[in-house]
Amino acid sequence: MITTAVIARQHLRLLSRSQTFLLMLVVLLGMTALSGFIGWSSHATILRVYDETVKTLTAAGKPVPPNPFAYKPRLSLLNNMIIYVPLIGALLAIVIGNMSITGDRQAGVTRVIFSRPVLRSSYFWGKVAGSAVAGAVIMAACLLLSVIGLTLINHGPPTASELVRLTAFYALSGLYLLLFTLIGIVAALLTSSQSLGLFAAVAVWALITFATPQFTSGLRPVASLNPITDPVSVSHSRFFRATSKAKPIAVNEQYKALSSRLLSQGNDVLGAGAGKTATQLAPILFFVLLLGGWAHRLIARRDFSEETARD
Amino acid sequence: MNATAEGPTSAAGPAIELVSLVHRYGDVEVLHRIDLTVATGEIFGFLGHNGAGKTTTIHVLTTLLKPASGSARVCGFDVVEQRLEVQRAIGYLPENVRLYDSLTAAENLRFFAQLSGVDDVPHAIDETLGILDCRELADRRVGTFSKGMRQRIGVAQAILHRPRVLFLDEPTSGLDPMGVRQLRDTIVHLNAELGITIFMNTHLLSEVARVCTTIGVLSEGELIYNDTLENTLRRFPDEASLEDIYVRLDDQ
Repeated sequence: MITTAVIARQHLRLLSRSQTFLLMLVVLLGMTALSGFIGWSSHATILRVYDETVKTLTAAGKPVPPNPFAYKPRLSLLNNMIIYVPLIGALLAIVIGNMSITGDRQAGVTRVIFSRPVLRSSYFWGKVAGSAVAGAVIMAACLLLSVIGLTLINHGPPTASELVRLTAFYALSGLYLLLFTLIGIVAALLTSSQSLGLFAAVAVWALITFATPQFTSGLRPVASLNPITDPVSVSHSRFFRATSKAKPIAVNEQYKALSSRLLSQGNDVLGAGAGKTATQLAPILFFVLLLGGWAHRLIARRDFSEETARD
Repeated sequence: MNATAEGPTSAAGPAIELVSLVHRYGDVEVLHRIDLTVATGEIFGFLGHNGAGKTTTIHVLTTLLKPASGSARVCGFDVVEQRLEVQRAIGYLPENVRLYDSLTAAENLRFFAQLSGVDDVPHAIDETLGILDCRELADRRVGTFSKGMRQRIGVAQAILHRPRVLFLDEPTSGLDPMGVRQLRDTIVHLNAELGITIFMNTHLLSEVARVCTTIGVLSEGELIYNDTLENTLRRFPDEASLEDIYVRLDDQ
């Protein structure tokens, strides 16, 4: 337990000194702040158009439609985060996972570490714990920025219910990012250099983020990014009908769908919708456990005597 | 502060014992039934060409590799059955260790001290840097260090927990003459003042002649010679230097 904490702390210390990590963190936090700004901007534009329309319709003696924002969930102003997390956040998570292994390799200290009384499982859990803490801190910072953004847009702080949903969204995002951290760890363990490990992990990220949503939604052109639920499939070919059966285990699709529900107050995520929530959460949890088990096995069986300083 | 494991052997017992040690990489046997004993308090020089199996032997002794057959004991502990006890009793400086560039020397040392279970980490770091006469490096980032400075901090990480046996793999590799001299003095000091048994892989015969008390020569995975330096020089009176003796042993 103590060794696990020592290794986790060391990983966090190295991350805090890494320019790559810090740069990507700044980009993610910047995009989070931008997400609020985009929400505020679209909110203001729609209200302005609505006000003009109301004036015109009133002058013409025609009935006035209701304010569109009267029906729009206030949290959905942060919908862009459902795009930024799988894009920038996942890349950041891959860097975190990759560095957890290659940081020791570059320093040429892996052999020293395993010549000390360090169990391989302690090493694995230390790396995962350090990465999870880093992810949690990043998500907490994003949550804080989102709360500030919503407060400014809505001219008042979020309600308790909104805060719970927002926290649940970032907790889900943290879990989703842990998946990519583990992809980063596994790729680093399977390859011999940092650049190759990063390249392999980014290839998997592209597959999950861009290719899988297309195949599991019948080549729906906007499926790779936007959290649109139950649209009409574009392709009805036999191939895409077959691939669309994999949608329940497409983690990106499930993350987007569940996130979208969390940010839409009309949806019951627990209660009556608990079953649907569980089926959307299950594939993410399954792949986290699968990759975690794989990474643990790779660390347990690896010949660390071969690890010399490189890259 | 001292986290060193007390071994089952007395101080006078052997620090290292290899009995019919065999190691294979796949189907290739790289260590052939090595029998070797290093007494406590020795500075043992392990000589051999590149690829002779010196580093593999150290990897077995530092628990990084499991032997295919035979046994290896350090301070009386079996490297397979009593791995944690061996790890608590040893220090290890691999060849080409860089350490974490973005951290200071003290931060690097704190990590390894904590891994080794050292109780009073700040005191251990300060004392160890004092022994190595490099306290001024403590708060500097390792990324700014010369090879010699890195090597001193590398030695520091290996002795923070006051090991009973210290393994050094080509410790003078890449050092300038001044760095070599400093490291040689450090090795002698660690052995004489702290009583650490030292097992050193090297192919620099001049270093062996100056520092080691016992030598072993490994050739293509076989231990072809093992004796004290004094006996070695007496046994080969016609040879001008240790280098000549080494060449003759290798030819045989």
